[in-house]
This record gives sequence, structure tokens and C-alpha cells, in this order.
Amino acid sequence: MAEPMELLCWGGDWDLPSVHTDSLIVLAYAKFSGAKLAVKSIDWTWRTITASVPQLHYEASTVTEPTQILNFLRKQRFNADYELTAKQGADTMAYIALLEEKLRPALLHTFWVDADNYANLTRPWFTSHSPFPLNFFVPGRQASLALSRILLTKAESPLLNITEVEGKIYSEAKECLNLLSHRLGNFHFFFGDTPTSLDAFVFGHIAPLIKAPLPSGQLQKHLNQLDNLCQFCNTILKNYFNASAEKRTDCSPTAIHDPVDANLQKLTQLVNKESNLIEKMDDNLRSSPQHRPHRH
Amino acid sequence: MSLAAEAFVSQIAAAEPWPEKATLYQPLKEDQILLSDSASSLAVQTFLRMCGLPVQVSCCANAEYMSPSGKVPFIHVGNQVVSELGPIVQFIKAKGHSLSDGLDDVQRAEMKAYMELVNNMLLTAELYIQWCDDYTATEISRPRYSSPYSWPLNHILAYQKQWEVRRKMNAIGWSGKNLEQVYEDVSQCCQALSQRLGTQPYFFNKQPTELDALVFGHLFTILTTQLTNDELAEKVKSYTNLLSFCHRIEQTYFKEHDRESQSGSSRHSKGSLP
Repeated sequence: MAEPMELLCWGGDWDLPSVHTDSLIVLAYAKFSGAKLAVKSIDWTWRTITASVPQLHYEASTVTEPTQILNFLRKQRFNADYELTAKQGADTMAYIALLEEKLRPALLHTFWVDADNYANLTRPWFTSHSPFPLNFFVPGRQASLALSRILLTKAESPLLNITEVEGKIYSEAKECLNLLSHRLGNFHFFFGDTPTSLDAFVFGHIAPLIKAPLPSGQLQKHLNQLDNLCQFCNTILKNYFNASAEKRTDCSPTAIHDPVDANLQKLTQLVNKESNLIEKMDDNLRSSPQHRPHRH
Repeated sequence: MSLAAEAFVSQIAAAEPWPEKATLYQPLKEDQILLSDSASSLAVQTFLRMCGLPVQVSCCANAEYMSPSGKVPFIHVGNQVVSELGPIVQFIKAKGHSLSDGLDDVQRAEMKAYMELVNNMLLTAELYIQWCDDYTATEISRPRYSSPYSWPLNHILAYQKQWEVRRKMNAIGWSGKNLEQVYEDVSQCCQALSQRLGTQPYFFNKQPTELDALVFGHLFTILTTQLTNDELAEKVKSYTNLLSFCHRIEQTYFKEHDRESQSGSSRHSKGSLP
């Protein structure tokens, strides 16, 4: 090609090439498919508020949105999904839909809506990476976009209150992570030994969650117990991004096989136990005089 | 529903058997119901038939407002009211009927992923076509949605619903798409479903699951509903194994029962499948 393709994205931190999920997806896919991208970070430029990130420039055209960019790269013959069967391609679409519906709301909530995380981590980071005077607007705008997205898609119309929705989105996200862990099993990547677009999407979603130093992260704690997903993330960072990522002590590479299944079962039980605990709480509620006693 | 309420409902649900007079509520079939609601309602009806649980379908103009979550359809069983396919599946599981018990963990993950694919792509595309495409909204959606009401309420409610749906499309990033791209998305979704189904009778080989009910609900409704043009139905028809899948489920679960409860005879419909 005459000139390389240029990608605009948010900058990196916490051992990651970028802190933004969508940018990470594109960066990971480019590495997997061997596309050479000139990565330009939009930090400290006016593009933090004007551009919709990530954005790919090539010759005269501009492409946004991870799915569109991946399609564009495939048309340029950078295809990481070449070896997939038709059924695996269909599975990819389905799992990406699962990620978008179940995991993304909880991720948005963890980073942008949870008061602790937003005030101590997200807002300072984005403020320090935006130029004056945009640093007053950029984080607030992203936060309100995140909140409205969660409420419009997950909150049912009578509720429209974030606290009611929180429990539901976190439990769905934990279930989603468990499902991904079941699907990954003991393999290095989701479809055998070479990474594909599904791996890029999963990496983009879970890497910030693993690496960011979140003050209050119940989802992060849950994810850290899923060893195979942590291992998956660290493998990609090590092999494709040459990051000297210190392996976190709770994701040791040696014992993958049996403890994976044991941990996973424990976690599935944990999520079930949560609902059981709530049922027990309700047992007390039911025996209170306000509720009619039920015949068994 | 919050987690506590859900757990509470399943406790109660487990205590009682399925009653004779369970009812499913949806908007008026002939005049009011729209494509997306009809698809969701058919999916729930199919699921209940697959479980062998009898239910009466009751059409009310205000079904959407009666529903606890604001979405149709919802079922009224004993003294509980549950809406939407996901919670209904869990409710029925608490009563001891489940279609997906035989699946192992990986298959269950796949099933949930495909159900999300249908919800994410097909349902969103249906909503887009109904409410964000000006021609369809003016000719079909707004008149139908507000048909039970008199002026000026019909205008207010129709525009309110349209505004709500457009806001949601905006939030998830679909407002930038044009109709062609939406049809293309539907086509890709059908292709994924078709490839997953292959030559099997159901998505998970011999036994139908809630995924089969959901896919049938959406595809059958798309095929038998007349919109402003036939392009959506054409996209689905180009996948022959999906067509035969719909025929098979219609034959197995709907033809055996009374003619009145046959789902094909809805408004604007061309009767059964071609």
C-alpha cells in the first residue's frame, strides 16, 4: 500500500495499548491479522470531543465503529477469520451480540456510573488526557452517554432508576463472564490456536476490567477468579503487544487444567448462591405478618 | 424486576402447579399489534406449547400498560404476572418445566449467545423498520398503535412511542444506519442462524429449546406480515433451511390445535406460510 492506514484512538495506560474498549478491539484485530496501522492517539487534542473513536483513515475514506472497521480490514485482505468454518463464523456473531447485550452495560456502569470508580479513576484519567478547556466537558459527556445507554436499554419503563437496574446488570454480566469462561475452556483462544475477531472483541471488553486499578470493582473481583480469561488476556498482551505485563499473582500460568473447571463451578455456584441468599432473606420476609402464609 | 423480586417470584412459582386458566395478554390482533410485539408474543406462545402448558390468548388494547415491565406479551398465572420471554422461561423453570436441561454448559452458553443475537439484531431491526423509517411509521405503525384511542390521545401516544424508540436507537448507535444497512444486518443475522441450524431439525439437534421458539416467533411473523414492501420477508426467504424450520414448527405445534389459536391468521397476514 502507498501509505499506511491511520487509526485514531484513545491512549494507553495500565499496561494496555488503549484504555478504550472499542479502540482495543481494533488494535487487537490489527495485530492478529497482521495489518500495519499507524496509531495516533487523540489524547490532548481537540479530537477528544469532536471525533468518534476509534476511527480509521485510509486514502480518502474514514470508517468508524469496530464492526465496520473490521469489515473494512477484511476487504483489504487482512482477515483473521479466514480459517473459521461457517458455523464458527455464526458463533462469532452470536457471542459478540452476547457481549454487547450482557457485558457492556455493566462495564459502562463500572467505569462511568459507579460513583467511587468514576470520581477516583475514570474522571481523573480522562481529564488529565484532554486539553484545556475540554477537560471539563469530556468525562461528563461520556458519563451521561453511558448512563442514558444503560437506562434506555436495560431499565424497564416504570423503573427508570439506576439503582434498580444495577443488581440486574451485574448479575447478567457475571453470568456472561461465566459463559465465556465455559466456552474458552482450556484453549488459548476461542477457536483453536490462532486468534480471531471474537478473541479481539472479548479482549477489548475484559482487558480494561482486568488491568484498571478500580477502587470498587465487584465485577473485577469476579473476573479475577476466572483464571482462563485472565490467562487469555495476558497471553494476548504478551504475544501481540510486547507488553512486559507482570502476571498477576492470582493468574498463574502453570495450573490451568483442573483448577479452571473447579473455579468455574465454584463461580457458577456463587452466582446461584447470590440468588439463594436473597431467597433466604425473602423467607424471613414471607413469614412476616404482612404476607399471607402459603400452603406447600 | 429486581433480583429479590425475581427470587421471590420463583419461590412462589415452585409452590403451585400450572393452573387451567393461565392467560397470555397481547395487544389487539387485528388492528393494533405491531410486528415486533407480534413476534415476541408468538415466541412465548410457541415456547409454552413446546412445554405442553395450555394458555389462553387474550387481546387487550391496553396490554402494554398492564404489563409489569411495559413490554408485551405477559402471562397471568395463578396470582403472578410475568412479562417477556427471558423471565417467563425462568418462571416456568421454577415450576419444573424446562427445555434446556439436557444441554451442557458450552451448549447453554451458545444458546444464550444466539438468543442475544436474535434480540440484538432481529428485534432491533424490526423496531427500527417500524418506527425509524418514516414511511412505515406514517403508513402502518402510528395508525395501528393508536387505533383503539380517540383523538387527540391517539396522536399523543403514537408520537410518544415513536420518540421513545428513536431515543433508544440513538443510544445504541443505530440511528446512524439507513434502511439498506438494516436489511443487510437482518440478512447477516439470518445467515448466522441458517449456518448454525444446518440440516438439523432444531438448533440443538433433536429437542426444541427456547432458542427455537424465539427464532420461530420472529421469522414466522416476518414472513407472514405485510409491511410497506416485501424486502424483509425476501431476506428471510432466501434461506431455505430457515423456511423449512418454520414450516416444521408450525406443523408440529400449531396445526394440531384449534384453528382459532393458529397464529398465522393475524392482521395483514397472508395466512399460513407460502
